[in-house]
Amino acid sequence: MSRSSLSKQPKKVTDISVPSEQLAHVDPQDMFPLPPPYDKVKEQPGFKALSAETRKTVAASLDDTVCVGLPQPKSKEEEERLITAFLSGLRKLFTRENNWTFLEPLVLSMEHCARCQTCVDDCPVYEASGKNEIYRPTYRSEILRRLYFKYIKPGNSLFNKFQNGDIELNWTLLSRLLELSYRCTLCRRCAQSCPIGVDNGLITREIRKLFSSEMGITEKNLHEKGTIQQLRVGSSTGMNSLAVKDNVEFIDEDMTERTGIPIESKWDVEGAEVLLLHNAGEFIAWPDNPGCFALLLDAAGITWTMSSEIAGYDGVNYGLFYDDVQLARIAAKHFEIAKKLKVKKIVMGECGHESKALGVISDRVFQGIPRETAMSLIADIVFSGKIKFDPSRNNFPVTLHDPCNLVRAMGVVEPQRRVLRYLAPKFREMHPHGVRNYCCGGGSGFAIMSQYNFMDWRLQISGRKKFKQILDAFADEDPSAETKKYVCAPCSNCKGQIRDLFDYYGAKQKSGLHYGGLVELVVNAMVDVKEGFLNFEEM
Amino acid sequence: MTVFHLLIYLSVLIFLTAVAARIVRIVRMPVHLRWELYPVPHEKSRSAYGGSILEEVNWWTKEREVDRIGEAKAMVSEIFFLKGIWEHNRGLWFGSWSLHFGLYLLIGELGLLALSGFLGAVGMQPEILALVTPIVTILAWIGCALGLIGSLIMYLKRLTDPKLKPFNNASHYFNLLLLGAINVTGLIWVAADPEYAGKLVDFFAGLFSLNALPVLTTIGYTHVGIVLFFFIYFPFTHMTHAFVKYFTYHDIRWNDSPNVQGGKMGIEIDKLEHQPVTWAAPHVRADGKKTWVDIVGDTGEEKKS
Repeated sequence: MSRSSLSKQPKKVTDISVPSEQLAHVDPQDMFPLPPPYDKVKEQPGFKALSAETRKTVAASLDDTVCVGLPQPKSKEEEERLITAFLSGLRKLFTRENNWTFLEPLVLSMEHCARCQTCVDDCPVYEASGKNEIYRPTYRSEILRRLYFKYIKPGNSLFNKFQNGDIELNWTLLSRLLELSYRCTLCRRCAQSCPIGVDNGLITREIRKLFSSEMGITEKNLHEKGTIQQLRVGSSTGMNSLAVKDNVEFIDEDMTERTGIPIESKWDVEGAEVLLLHNAGEFIAWPDNPGCFALLLDAAGITWTMSSEIAGYDGVNYGLFYDDVQLARIAAKHFEIAKKLKVKKIVMGECGHESKALGVISDRVFQGIPRETAMSLIADIVFSGKIKFDPSRNNFPVTLHDPCNLVRAMGVVEPQRRVLRYLAPKFREMHPHGVRNYCCGGGSGFAIMSQYNFMDWRLQISGRKKFKQILDAFADEDPSAETKKYVCAPCSNCKGQIRDLFDYYGAKQKSGLHYGGLVELVVNAMVDVKEGFLNFEEM
Repeated sequence: MTVFHLLIYLSVLIFLTAVAARIVRIVRMPVHLRWELYPVPHEKSRSAYGGSILEEVNWWTKEREVDRIGEAKAMVSEIFFLKGIWEHNRGLWFGSWSLHFGLYLLIGELGLLALSGFLGAVGMQPEILALVTPIVTILAWIGCALGLIGSLIMYLKRLTDPKLKPFNNASHYFNLLLLGAINVTGLIWVAADPEYAGKLVDFFAGLFSLNALPVLTTIGYTHVGIVLFFFIYFPFTHMTHAFVKYFTYHDIRWNDSPNVQGGKMGIEIDKLEHQPVTWAAPHVRADGKKTWVDIVGDTGEEKKS
């Protein structure tokens, strides 16, 4: 079947249960146009079609892509077994024992939505897709809601149908709902606009949890290569403690050479003021970031350490995106390590979801060690008067990407801006920004997912709004690559997505777009650091 | 006391019991993990841009300033002016505001009638009646008119708006028809019966004193009948968002309360963590007996030999 002959979108909510080759399809022409020179559809990277083999072997009937890749059941019995397991998970999702962690927000969101659709236009995925029905924040919620009223909520079934509609639970629905729960970045922008307080982002997360905690069905980068690997070898990157120490030694040497300031990172120092917990992706993909932290903390006279214990050098907690048990296991390790080292506080590096998982979500469960975000500490150091800065070293256009987990989920909005307003003379905001920001499109773990053709989806659809925002922020500058432009993204996950966006669209070559963290800009402006630390040619 | 008395008492009893049951169910739900969403309006001086105390270095050493007035302002603008819909769904705002504001006026009318009826039942009727009559009439006129306009607009929107249509259930149309019927019968009654307010005060006095109820016009009985049905029906629908919204905002969206050591929340969480887990996925390693504490402690970490 050719792409153009595919059904564009479902007409009814119940269409999700009706078997077809594909429930929805997005043409590049459906997506809103990007500003020049990215406005010509034909010149854009194409959307790779799934192979016939993929379509045959894994559940791929939702849309143009596959994220989880659940194997097709081999028999009717296997289908039935999966449906039974799903129903069992659905029941547990609404029990105090198994889901006390989010029971109240979930039940209230299930039972009180007015279906006013006020939230839908606030979703960047829905907007970028040309408003395809399946990407409405309310679509997957409505399916879970109908299942809830049909199978879980006590009461007269006719009355429940009258109130909430009906839906047929079958393999088609189950496999599509699983994939659909991985078409939302959990940015919760929709929840912010709901007048009733319904949270479609949470509902999406709870669907992922049901599949993971009851059926063991997860996205492998989050689970096998993510939390499982982190708890087994120490990091979701696969690095054990020897490897990370080796990397950091190299980073120290490189930073010493480039800045002219001797740097020696600290490991397992008992009684330090700060346990610095980076997203371990930084050590591999953006080594300047941990290097700059080491330099800045030393310069500010703060005693600090990193931990070489399992999970102690990786602040990543992908459990946040799909599974409470894994979330709690990793958070528990982080607290245990901090207690063992007798540090005064944990400082969470430039990583949004780490900050939210450790700073807010775990707050009611694990106690005894205070946590703060790197944004607050960096701002405090910059304005402490201990370090001399020359802001003219950052005299290039800079804009700030707000990681959803830092702003919308934690209210950490101003510290990073205060720093940029002081140290980046050509700083300008994106619009909208702060708590009304748009997700980078890599949220909820998408930034580490590129299997099948999922990368095309996350760069063309979920990241489209952010890419447009970035281009718009620099609209008053020379559009050519001659003028180097810096997107400050103080979050590893967001940086991963922005890196991929820029590579995908050739934005570095076409528009001079570069990206990095906050601490790099701070170090670049330090008078004691050799000039030219930030080198756009090498970024 | 007549059968009509009994019907009214029964409707009100069902309404109050079902609403109370829903509230008790929510209040008894276990404490959940923090899941607030900024801006949180009680964050003094920071709520304007959505900031929180977490912006402060060593925030746990600083005094948490809670701005209850800011919170009240946010509630007033949301409840009375539907700020969320104004900002995010402007096309739906007028119909929704009109419907909701009309209902608020009718609830005000009902409260006033109940109060004057009660005072009438204890012998203060003539003095009260003179004061209440014009207010009740005005509330009925404006409340029913706004409610009718709102329900009509919302019904048409539900019927025609492609954004709403695929997600409508039968109840969405029925609810709007029901609210429209309350408003249209109320409007006809107040327009056609010059003794509308007086009869209603007597009606409520009769309900409180168990004395005979005044004879109403046909449209009056129709209106009362529909309102009584609404009383029975409402607590079992999503329209309960009218009061559940308090919990979605205060218990979840704006709930940034930390778990202070030795506090009530800590005790409750400790109990919750000691419940058995029955999730069946292999990585959870639950057996129906192991508690959250056991399971979280079992990380599957490679042991050093």
